[in-house]
Amino acid sequence: MDLLDFARGPAINVAMAVMVFGVLWRLFAILFLGKAPDRTVPRMGTPGPLGAALREIARRMVPHPTFAFAERFSFFNGWVFHVGLAVVVFGFRPHVLFIKNLTGLSWPTLPSGVVYVVGAITLVSLAAALVRRLTNPVQRFISGLDDYFSWVVTILPVITGLVAVGHVGARYETLLAIHILSIAVLLIWLPFGKLFHAFLVFVSRGTTGAFLARRGV
Amino acid sequence: MADQKTLGERLAEHGVSRRAFVKYASWLGSLMALPPATSRAMAAELAKAKRQSVIWLSFQECTGCTEAITRSKGPTLEDLIFDFISLDYHHTLQAVSGEAIEEARHAAMKENKGKYVVIVDGSVPMKDGGIYSTTAGHSNYDTLMETVKDAFAVISVGTCAAFGGIPKANPNPTGAVSIGDLVKDKPVINIPGCPPIPEAMTGTVAYLLSFGKVPELDHLGRPKAFFGENIHDRCYRRPFYERGQFARGFDDEGARNGWCLYEVGCKGPTTYNACATMKWNGGVSFPIQSGHGCLGCSEPDFWDKGGFYVPLSASIGPTAKLVGGAALAGAVAGVAAAAVARHRKSSLNKG
Amino acid sequence: MTDTINVQAAADKFLALVGRPLATWAEACVRCGLCAEACHFYQATKDPKYTPAWKILPIAKAHRARTGFLGMLGLAPKITEKDLKDWEELIYDSCNMCGRCTLVCPMGIDIATITGATRQAMAAAGIGPADLFAAADNARDRGSPLGLSSEKLVDRLEWLADDNEIDLPLDKKGAEVLLTVSSIEMMKYPDSIVSMGKLLNAAGVDWTFSSKGYEATNFGYLAGKSDIAKMLTMRIVEAAEALGVKTVIIPECGHAYGVMRWQAANVIGRPLPFEVFHITEYLAKLKREGKLEFKPFDKAFTYHDPCQISRRGGAAGDARYLLEGFAPNFKEMSPTANSNWCCGGGGGVQAIARSAPIRYEVFKIKTRQVEETGTSTLMSSCANCRLTLDEAKTATKWGGELASIVEVLAEHLVEKD
Repeated sequence: MDLLDFARGPAINVAMAVMVFGVLWRLFAILFLGKAPDRTVPRMGTPGPLGAALREIARRMVPHPTFAFAERFSFFNGWVFHVGLAVVVFGFRPHVLFIKNLTGLSWPTLPSGVVYVVGAITLVSLAAALVRRLTNPVQRFISGLDDYFSWVVTILPVITGLVAVGHVGARYETLLAIHILSIAVLLIWLPFGKLFHAFLVFVSRGTTGAFLARRGV
Repeated sequence: MADQKTLGERLAEHGVSRRAFVKYASWLGSLMALPPATSRAMAAELAKAKRQSVIWLSFQECTGCTEAITRSKGPTLEDLIFDFISLDYHHTLQAVSGEAIEEARHAAMKENKGKYVVIVDGSVPMKDGGIYSTTAGHSNYDTLMETVKDAFAVISVGTCAAFGGIPKANPNPTGAVSIGDLVKDKPVINIPGCPPIPEAMTGTVAYLLSFGKVPELDHLGRPKAFFGENIHDRCYRRPFYERGQFARGFDDEGARNGWCLYEVGCKGPTTYNACATMKWNGGVSFPIQSGHGCLGCSEPDFWDKGGFYVPLSASIGPTAKLVGGAALAGAVAGVAAAAVARHRKSSLNKG
Repeated sequence: MTDTINVQAAADKFLALVGRPLATWAEACVRCGLCAEACHFYQATKDPKYTPAWKILPIAKAHRARTGFLGMLGLAPKITEKDLKDWEELIYDSCNMCGRCTLVCPMGIDIATITGATRQAMAAAGIGPADLFAAADNARDRGSPLGLSSEKLVDRLEWLADDNEIDLPLDKKGAEVLLTVSSIEMMKYPDSIVSMGKLLNAAGVDWTFSSKGYEATNFGYLAGKSDIAKMLTMRIVEAAEALGVKTVIIPECGHAYGVMRWQAANVIGRPLPFEVFHITEYLAKLKREGKLEFKPFDKAFTYHDPCQISRRGGAAGDARYLLEGFAPNFKEMSPTANSNWCCGGGGGVQAIARSAPIRYEVFKIKTRQVEETGTSTLMSSCANCRLTLDEAKTATKWGGELASIVEVLAEHLVEKD
């Protein structure tokens, strides 16, 4: 078994299993934690909890008008790397083939060249996110190991992916194996650190949406 | 047995001009990407070369490699090459049989001690004392080790000899191993492929003859001249890959349009061979050109890479089962964790 | 207050409080730091420790220690006495639970609720500002944080009624509406109480005070002492039930509205047998019903939204409705309504003496807002905001004026005979 076989086989399989296991564990441990019934009377004419939750999930995709200026960097850069990652993951044929092979699901994808460019932009955007984390006094103060480690495991697949398509520095099968291994690390870390916000963002926004809508805010 | 005439003299006898010979040498040289000066040197050395004793051993193989090398569409000179090496042992090509041919082998080994070249096609079974393949009452292992003892170099022709190949494919019932796994004290040149490109075989032999040394090899013991680049990088369908145009099957629009075969399992990106540049049958075509993805036949264990039609980026092994099991376990663990927390909470709220 | 710190009590309190919403919020932070943009304590000081997200740490740590991956295996670090002490200042002195950071958070984390829960855990451990705790104990033992006992209330109401020649009904059985007071008003802004009575009387509302449940403020809640919070809530509920009222009105007080309107039913474990209105909501209702008429109020002024009425209460519109057609020179400040800056004294911070310096810094944000409107009068509908602003005004020698919406309305009431 060579490195690529290891990456495509045991490594990615175990990583996927750990990711799915961890995500469901953490998500269910929260979702089934229970919530005391709210006996207060909702303000008249406010949306129900589900509608409010969905509205809040959508609404926070863009900054609150009051803070649009203060948020300009985070909003812009945040969107760039989130969308960039999504485009690279779901718009590149080889990536979709990974999903298709597992689930049978497939969809049209982008020209590889476009994905390379998006990948490069994502890389720059992630680098900018780190620079800000290191230079902004607030972010620097509140950041911990999780923040930096999560950044590393997020940017590694982007770097290794670009290096692999560029055939830089080593043989392609080695680069591909390293790319897949870096994804394995990302998948394994996903449920345990702050990257779990990929799931919690919806629960959290929804909870707050329902909470505030009841009050008519 | 050995003919004392040089290759150049023999060629002249056969009516091959020096000019034609230099042309052939530079063709071979350019295939191997040697500098022009080296090609000229190669021609000169080849012309001076004595007939090289070659012993060809066939173990667990299908004779496809021999088929390939004999049907080479290359210049007629290639056929002549066989006149100028002394092929002292070859099951398929030799006229004699039985004790006589074994004696011929021993005689060649004795006479050319330390100078002869051993070419092997096929892997060696090691399980159960090697009983799965024997010749003249000897296991392949014994024959191999006896023969290579005084050889100058060993050339493993075909993926079976180079890496174990199909006999070694899971579950490897005969315990097949490659020649390189067994021969550690001689240079071993691997020319894998199922079969290898004929010119890769003849070119390597010619190099060995003219320079008396092993050509530059990669980490898998393959001549870099033929195995230095991967198929994907040299594939004429590469632009379709970059454009994101993929054949989804062998009978769809993409297939008819000659789009990239990545999605139907082409292993071009991880396969190192000269198929996309030298092609086959005298440069007529190669598998991808004929509409099928590369199987990766010149790579170790190509038979066990998760399937010829599984895309390179897909995972291999029981991913779905594992993930399904993990999902179930995760869900149970999550609900259980929540239940424990709720229980603790309620006992706190009571107490 | 106990002298020994009981960390286990805090850990247990966290566990008891953290359900799905708090667990989600405690785990969802990505440390983007945007909440600092929304927090007046950070903006006033530029000290990163005031970043709202930083205030999540104790609850997150306690939560992880009991329910997380490592927590289930007993491997996660537990909350320590040092953690609680280190965060005391951040959770009590420099968080008004104003909810402004909730607006900016891309994850939608509600730090105000987290602060509320963390205060309960800290209070359970015996950690918190002595003066705030004393106010809560006072409320429990003497009926009011400022020592407004039942007898004093009766006394004062009589005096106010006489002085202002107004009918201030007390313990009137069968009344429709129970009006509560904030002891801040009774002690410092009694005009506000008279004004409420005047407006309700003019609209012909059948209302009353209660000598049993009169104090609207809930320092049990502010201090994080849940037992006191429940007791104080019950006083009003029981008084309302005894009198048979259908409506309880919360005076100009922010957290009192939040506690009674949005928490009380959950604190007592059953729906309230009456409706709860903030005074601005109720006056808006009366105005809508055509029961109140006002003479125009020409003065130029701006309106400060009490967080618990607007951003956390959902009643920002009612104050505007009251001002509509009545105050032509009303200028909105920027940002306003649900995005308005907090006064810096909410959430009990006003009662914490040592927080005064930072509150004065925060006050500068408010005065800048006022100056930008080109007016010099700052109107509000919360006595606590008013007190906070008043105190800072004196300390910083600000030249502007403070006003109460209820008082101004009462002054401009068209009295029908």
